[in-house]
Amino acid sequence: MSVRRAEGFDVDVVVRRRPRRGDPFVLQAEFGTGAGITVVFGPSGAGKSTLLMAILGAIAPHSGRIVTGGRTLYDSASGTDLAVRHRRVGIVFQDALLFPHLDVAGNVAFGLGATPREERRRGALAALDTVGAREIADLMPAELSGGQRQRVALARALAPGPSALLLDEPFSALDAPSRKALGETLLDLQRSAGVPFLHVTHDLGEAVRLGSDLVVLDAGRVVQVGPPQRVVAAPAAEATARAIGTENLFTGVVRAHFPDRGYSEVDLGGTVVETGLLDVALGRSVALGLRAEDILLAVERVRGTSARNVLAGSIAELSSGTASVEIRVATPVVFRVVVTHEAVEQLGLARGLAVHLLIKAHAFHRLL
Amino acid sequence: MILHALRLSLMASALATAVVAIAGTLTGWLLARREFRGREFLDALLNLPLVLPPTVTGYYLLVVLGRGGLIGSPLYRATGWSVTFTWAACVVAGAVMAFPLMVRAARVAFEETDARHEIAAASLGRGWLSTFVFVSLPLARRGLIAGVILSFARSVGEFGATLMLAGNIPGRTQTLPLAIYDAVISGQDRTAMWLAVMLTAVSVAVMLAAGRLGRPGSTSR
Repeated sequence: MSVRRAEGFDVDVVVRRRPRRGDPFVLQAEFGTGAGITVVFGPSGAGKSTLLMAILGAIAPHSGRIVTGGRTLYDSASGTDLAVRHRRVGIVFQDALLFPHLDVAGNVAFGLGATPREERRRGALAALDTVGAREIADLMPAELSGGQRQRVALARALAPGPSALLLDEPFSALDAPSRKALGETLLDLQRSAGVPFLHVTHDLGEAVRLGSDLVVLDAGRVVQVGPPQRVVAAPAAEATARAIGTENLFTGVVRAHFPDRGYSEVDLGGTVVETGLLDVALGRSVALGLRAEDILLAVERVRGTSARNVLAGSIAELSSGTASVEIRVATPVVFRVVVTHEAVEQLGLARGLAVHLLIKAHAFHRLL
Repeated sequence: MILHALRLSLMASALATAVVAIAGTLTGWLLARREFRGREFLDALLNLPLVLPPTVTGYYLLVVLGRGGLIGSPLYRATGWSVTFTWAACVVAGAVMAFPLMVRAARVAFEETDARHEIAAASLGRGWLSTFVFVSLPLARRGLIAGVILSFARSVGEFGATLMLAGNIPGRTQTLPLAIYDAVISGQDRTAMWLAVMLTAVSVAVMLAAGRLGRPGSTSR
């Protein structure tokens, strides 16, 4: 699947879960990533949390191998299965999950082991320093903001010097500015800790900003692995496009802003479109996603429509699926449109036919 | 005689509660956190004293612990001592009757706390015992304290099983509830009233003390 690089995560496991309620679930994940931040991306139910728990050691895989940073944590072939406390793998949960009965310093000192009290406190304060949270050392978790809690959770997980760190959507409950600030902190922490991080997110922008490798999970399988920019720009499989939530991916240059009317103009490389107002400087590049089902196709020029974009083009290719037909339209930039078999028949859609695409400005969403 | 009954009731109940608090907490944690074969069967078995009439539970205890019983007989042959009709029997009867209440309270208390706290503690290098003492117990504190109060109250009020296993020997195995019964039967209404008031006072005092412990921030970190 990919070249194995032992410095990051080297995972090849089958995990079977049979919950007391609900359907049994099988995760069959195989990927190898480099040192740095490995981002795991996928829709909910893809198996991201199951993967994390298996690496952490909290659920036992059926078979396979888990190696982080060159350390073998689990290997069914050799019978290796380290206990959670011997794996030295840190975890940060979505809801931080600080120990509510301990203050911030107490939480961070928890993993510092049987060292004298003074030393533990010093260690905790040093760890809090690295996440910029030293001044809240004496507060209780209930007194903290969401962002502060995640900072403390990061400090707690990193204080004992783990050999890898797992992050289960740690920023998903935060507002955009805190999310961005914590992302910066995370990059710094990874560099200074020098151990691989595995970061689960469903925010594609975050995935691209933070990740050195992107692993796309869908329905318990790894559908694509690679550098985030490349995966996002060219989803190899339909499953990846579905996981990312978009079939059309463009990189364009911002040409103009119309704040009073609430839209921006972006040149996608020969085709200029109107999008919702973007927070990107003029002349800068921007990646945009567009779902195939958000595009209307017309065989004649349509007037009096509310769609901001009416693009003339011609059909370059039709590929028939079971439920629908995917049509590639060159404007000259190629758009993927999905229509029904019935529409193809009624409109007489065929290669080379001149068509118009109707797209709302707000159907374009910014990816990074 | 009355003072002896009070002292016996308090001591036996305190001992029974101490045993039940430890064993019940561990059992409750096991039922809440671990999947194992026969878990539901164990749960049902432990709950038996709740549904059986106390005299029936007392009868079974006699069968098991009596001089000719499954455990009682070899114990008697080895040591010449039998638990029946001693103050220790009051402890055993109180503990057995209170145990299911403690297990139930502990199970619910642990189930209500997020198991991921324990996973987080383990990922920080802590062993099972350390995690249990410094994370699981403090998080489940309120429910556990409630369970201990309930257990103490249940064993102070124990009547049926105690009567079967310990008898009703004034000055030796007569607890407060048994003394009240005796007083009523023999027409000593004033004594019965004083005993009842005493028992009520004990219960209220325990409840107040426990309420203090249960308040947040009162236990040490």
